[in-house]
Amino acid sequence: MARSLQAEEEERVIEDPGERVHTWPNLVSIELVGALIYLIALTAMSILVKAPLVDLANGEVTPNPAKAPWYFLGLQELLLHMHPALAGVIVPSAVLILLGAIPYIDRSRAGTGIWFSGPKGIPIFKFSFIYTSVWNIALVLIDEYLPAGETHGIGPLLEMFGFPAPVGSVFVPLVFMTFIPWSLAIIVKRRWNANTREVMIALYTFFLASFVVLTIIGTAFRGHSMHLMWPWEIGHPEGLLGGH
Amino acid sequence: MGLREKLTNNRFFKSLYREGYPDSDRKRVMVVINSLALHLHPVRVAKKGIKVTYTWGLGGLSIWAFVLLTISGVFLMFYYIPSVRDAWWSIISLDRDVYFGQFMRNMHRWAAHTMVILVFLHMTRVFYTGSYKPPRDFNWVLGIVLLTLTFLLSFTGYLLPWDQLAYWAITVGSNMGGATPFIGDQVRTALLGGFQIGQPTLIRWYTLHVIFLPLAMILLVSTHFWRVRKDGNISTPVYPAPPEEEEAQVKEAPADVEADDAGDGDEGDVEPDGTDSKKDAGEDS
Repeated sequence: MARSLQAEEEERVIEDPGERVHTWPNLVSIELVGALIYLIALTAMSILVKAPLVDLANGEVTPNPAKAPWYFLGLQELLLHMHPALAGVIVPSAVLILLGAIPYIDRSRAGTGIWFSGPKGIPIFKFSFIYTSVWNIALVLIDEYLPAGETHGIGPLLEMFGFPAPVGSVFVPLVFMTFIPWSLAIIVKRRWNANTREVMIALYTFFLASFVVLTIIGTAFRGHSMHLMWPWEIGHPEGLLGGH
Repeated sequence: MGLREKLTNNRFFKSLYREGYPDSDRKRVMVVINSLALHLHPVRVAKKGIKVTYTWGLGGLSIWAFVLLTISGVFLMFYYIPSVRDAWWSIISLDRDVYFGQFMRNMHRWAAHTMVILVFLHMTRVFYTGSYKPPRDFNWVLGIVLLTLTFLLSFTGYLLPWDQLAYWAITVGSNMGGATPFIGDQVRTALLGGFQIGQPTLIRWYTLHVIFLPLAMILLVSTHFWRVRKDGNISTPVYPAPPEEEEAQVKEAPADVEADDAGDGDEGDVEPDGTDSKKDAGEDS
């Protein structure tokens, strides 16, 4: 361990910041303009759009659908397809730990300071985004429309064939959540001869695209009883306004 | 004597801004050194690093959102009552009876949503520009913790209006927590302060939202800024060092020295090639 750490320290690079300019006014003016744009946009939005306030909390009346805030709707979407411990706790914890681990896996300083770290990064990003999105959308559609007796989905179908419930709710989701990033890494390695940084770009894009696609599906395409539908079919959830 | 002169040519103004308007290079350095807020920055920055299309200013906008949330949040605290009986009504009254009440509540809500987006985009920018790489590795970890804090701040605030949206979002959330393997019941009880959502839940989340999480955020975000300086400021491209013959020169002043010095000595940076720029050194004093 000590030896490998030492080897790592030997990676010598020259940081070349290039031309340097005074913070005042060059950076301070940019920050001021950015802060003003944000403040003006926020003020305009706060004048035009009211923050929601619906009926007083009532434990007796369950809204349909009952949704978490938008940034958790990706996780709530996962909840429809797998065991709650997996969707609600294990997946988000694993995501945060893996995100934190990125710089300890990709140690080389080459590629710092350049968007996508060079010409290969952009096609890898685009491919990874589309690859992940297609997988996500396909799996959501299959789980929604695959008939399984009176209900639908991969898990229930497997149960019909006599598999125990955890196969559909734990094993199959784990297989997909491992296979998709793993296959993506293999593809970018073969197609682009990707190095560690470029594989990392593919894997982060897998996370990003999954987050974006699942959040959009959970927010705009889930309506009554969390069924899949078009955004214009969703209407207002029941049980939020006007009592009953 | 013009108005500007009247305002600036007096003891009080001069005690506040010792140097006057920064119209010379020396003053441009001093204005940064002498200002608590500006001193978060080095006196000179890489031109590549401050290009708008490089960072999009997302980190700065995130902290600006946090500042606006603190201001609007304190305003809301004057009127909000964290009790199950009064919480919802106090917001009705805030919206109807208080000057700028509805406006400040809207602002707090939309700033909270945009802060989540800004922090997420900031992380994404840092990732795609490879700015998490050593020596910035630990600051990336801090950033992930800050992202988590941002989610927690937003989510704890979501319960406070005590309306149907809040109540059931927290039901969904605490049920997810309750699904934690082995300690699910304990997690759920800790989140709710009991077996169901009620007064203990509200006071618990309120306290986290207005005191604990903001303080944790301030502490960690300060460390985050400090590390940006310590780790060599905004990232810029690096190149492999030429081997052997350049070795001696590199040893004299390794690139890291510049980063390590950043805290106290960045006003007179040591150039990576080992030459101590005279101009910079002069500016330092």
